[in-house]
Amino acid sequence: MTMATPDLLESPETELLEGVARSWNVVVHNDPVNLMSYVTMVFRKVFGWNRERAEQHMMEVHHKGRSIVWSGEREKAELYVQQLHGFLLLATLEKTS
Amino acid sequence: MIFDPGNDGTPRFTGIHPLLAELMRAAALDPWERCPSGSSRLMPPPGDDEELRHDWEDHVQPELRRHFGKERSVVASDLEALKQEPSSKGNSATWSLEIPRAHSEAWLTTLNALRLALAEEHGFTEKELSRNDAPDFSSERGLALMQVNFYAFIQECLLLAPGERGGEGV
Repeated sequence: MTMATPDLLESPETELLEGVARSWNVVVHNDPVNLMSYVTMVFRKVFGWNRERAEQHMMEVHHKGRSIVWSGEREKAELYVQQLHGFLLLATLEKTS
Repeated sequence: MIFDPGNDGTPRFTGIHPLLAELMRAAALDPWERCPSGSSRLMPPPGDDEELRHDWEDHVQPELRRHFGKERSVVASDLEALKQEPSSKGNSATWSLEIPRAHSEAWLTTLNALRLALAEEHGFTEKELSRNDAPDFSSERGLALMQVNFYAFIQECLLLAPGERGGEGV
């Protein structure tokens, strides 16, 4: 499996409108119970990523304990957290500093 | 127990030992009732913001609970099709089950909920979960660990089935 590289993962998916500042991060946290293959599947379903990108974020969660999977406006970030909770991943919303 | 990913996209389990068939049936149990002390893991807070937490409890969590209930009822309905196979001489009868491809997500979520609740209730560590020791049937904890690992096996099988390719590769 391809290992995550910090360079790639420092740039989470964003949907920034012209003139709107990035303000909220969707963070997925490590959990010893969720299968790695399951987490990869969830990332692909929720964010529509290809396998490589989904696995990079999954590995970042696994090795670093967390991964920022999306950044942008609050409403959409809340929706993503809700979707991730629907798959029982440990996901939180964090305001960017 | 044999898993066939099914060329037509229908995952099939055959030769299921009666004990494992019972564990399969238990997959449709409500984790809030089965593991009340572990069910807190099923509704994690969305973050540190107090207002958001309250909003989440009032609006999102009831919706999530309904969603998990719907997924569980799909699994319960599929489990009604657990079929006893003809037994060969001297062996206990085994069971078989087909899971419609369209129901894979409901199964993955339902199995995950029960695994998480059981793991939380018994405080299983990552090390315990990844150990390949023979199951300990002499304690409730040992049985719960076997249940968590058995459901993980079913999840892995479903993720290998055509149409769930996102799950391959671990």
